[in-house]
Amino acid sequence: MDGLCFLPPDPVVPMSGPIAPREDLLGRALEDFAQEVRRRSQGEEAEAGPDWMALLDELRHSVQKIGMRERTGGTDAFGFDPDLLATVRPLLRLLRERWWRVEVRGMQRLPETGPVLLVANRAGLLPWDGLMIAEVVEEASAGRDRPRFLVADWLVTLPFAQPTLARLGGVRACPENAARLLRAGRSVVAFPEGQKGAAKVFAERYRLQRFGRGGVVRLALQAGVPLLPVAVVGSEEVHPVLFKVEVLARTAGLPFLPVTPTFPWLGPFGMIPLPSKWSIELGAPLETAGLGVAAARDDLLVARLTEQLRAELQHMVDSGVRSRSGIFA
Amino acid sequence: MPRNIAMTGLRTFLGRRLAARLVASRTRRKLVGVDLHRPQGLDPKVRMHAIDLTAAEAGSHLADVFQKEEVEVVVHLAFRREPSADLDGDHELETIGSLRVLHACAAAGVKRLVVASTAMAYGPRPDNPNFLSEEHPLRGHPEAHCVQNRVEMEGIVADWARRHPHTQVTMLRPCWIVGPNVSDAVVRYFARPVVPTLLGYDPLLQLVHEDDCLHAFERATLQSHPGIFNVVGRGVAPLSVLLRSAGKRPLPIPPPLLYRLRYYPARTQTGDRPEGFYDYLRYLWVAAGERGFAAFGEPVYSTQEAWMAFVSSHRTR
Repeated sequence: MDGLCFLPPDPVVPMSGPIAPREDLLGRALEDFAQEVRRRSQGEEAEAGPDWMALLDELRHSVQKIGMRERTGGTDAFGFDPDLLATVRPLLRLLRERWWRVEVRGMQRLPETGPVLLVANRAGLLPWDGLMIAEVVEEASAGRDRPRFLVADWLVTLPFAQPTLARLGGVRACPENAARLLRAGRSVVAFPEGQKGAAKVFAERYRLQRFGRGGVVRLALQAGVPLLPVAVVGSEEVHPVLFKVEVLARTAGLPFLPVTPTFPWLGPFGMIPLPSKWSIELGAPLETAGLGVAAARDDLLVARLTEQLRAELQHMVDSGVRSRSGIFA
Repeated sequence: MPRNIAMTGLRTFLGRRLAARLVASRTRRKLVGVDLHRPQGLDPKVRMHAIDLTAAEAGSHLADVFQKEEVEVVVHLAFRREPSADLDGDHELETIGSLRVLHACAAAGVKRLVVASTAMAYGPRPDNPNFLSEEHPLRGHPEAHCVQNRVEMEGIVADWARRHPHTQVTMLRPCWIVGPNVSDAVVRYFARPVVPTLLGYDPLLQLVHEDDCLHAFERATLQSHPGIFNVVGRGVAPLSVLLRSAGKRPLPIPPPLLYRLRYYPARTQTGDRPEGFYDYLRYLWVAAGERGFAAFGEPVYSTQEAWMAFVSSHRTR
């Protein structure tokens, strides 16, 4: 920065606020480019697979832009950085539309106003599912509400992971954080299975684990927000964990070292997610409206509602898995 | 009926500035200062008593002073500005010294006690929530002995306050204080043109401007605000953003290497391993300020504004 005497600090950029024009131009140019590539590839072969060229190009552009951007420094109280999101948005859009071809259902169930607590099934070590849910919900609410997704503790201690995730809207999973976000009118995506969900091996895919200790239901009751189940299908095949190695993982600060068909065999390339076919379905809200804040102290009721929510979500996931024609189709 | 104010640690930054503010506020209360000796440029209206808090008889001396001067409010600021290599000395002053102040307060029947703690006492932890409320347990940092002293001191004060319900206790926990005048290890760290940071970590930091901090102390001294309050600026900013907006160059070093490099300098300067400072630039320890904002008023400077005020004042030097 040149000749800085006193720069007034930039205001925190509101989440749904306008993206800086420069970013937007670049973003649009990238989009045009991607469309062009798509059109040509469709012309050549009708059954175009995942768009390798475009993906690589988007990646290159994103990487080039990192560090070149004039950062406003506007992160919100939880470290969310609209600037970085605008930069990686083309990549996210590509992942959503071309790589995973995310099919979205039930978004009309989102309330017109006010925050919601979204409860989703968790899969894979990296929080791709949280990012994708945030993307589709933001789009469904026309940019009104980009929910924050909760990430497990161990990711927070991992170098590079925490700053990046926080900038993309990830927040450490703890009741204080979620309650604060909901109080501030911000929707939250929670994964009550916690690490158990992320640590499933492929053989246990789409079997929902225990929902913690009923924290999500208590949270929704205390905050007085609707509780909506979100079934994500396809996320389990992104990094199919064949088996887990726990010995080496301890030194690396991971809960376990996943062994997938590609990782660690291909090194960092093994972390590229597989192009499974995704669907994200929003279920009917759990009936908590008439219960009030006092119900949050009724442990038995909370446990019953939690089990009801888990069963509902398991049912949604099961029917989603049954109705798809193939893992990659 | 005079309702006088006594301040321990008058020579500290907070002590000197708070004394000047209280004198300027034209309060009818007489100001009594306690420290090893009289600081330079102290307003002659402040009555000074030389008492060494590390001495065994400091408690009874203080009690005598409090009674003689009819002290009603005690502001306890006698804490190290930054850790010294004298671990025992620091503990004697910060923890045991506080105990002696409490004994004197009880003996003299002091009505109100304001204590300067620090938000560093929450400790930088990966499992901290993004905003630490005043009720969050103080976990400190095992390698930062002055922080541990404050944690111990807070426990002693809380215990004492339970046994002395007639004394209102206000515990203030400021985060890192920056501004044109304040100077300590944190400020010196940030004042460098090239700032070593931890590779792979970019924590959200929170700063409070010295004026806002002093304002909170002044309000807590002159008005009744019993309880614990975080004293922070609004908003947070990642370390990288702060450095970039100041035109400073971050020097990211892998934590194990940084800790090894800084081991001997840190041990000789602070008596602690480097983790005791650098972990505060690694993990979250942001405090929730709402309770303080409600009690003492909205701070004038946000975190970024406080940072820019600090940076611009250091530029012109």
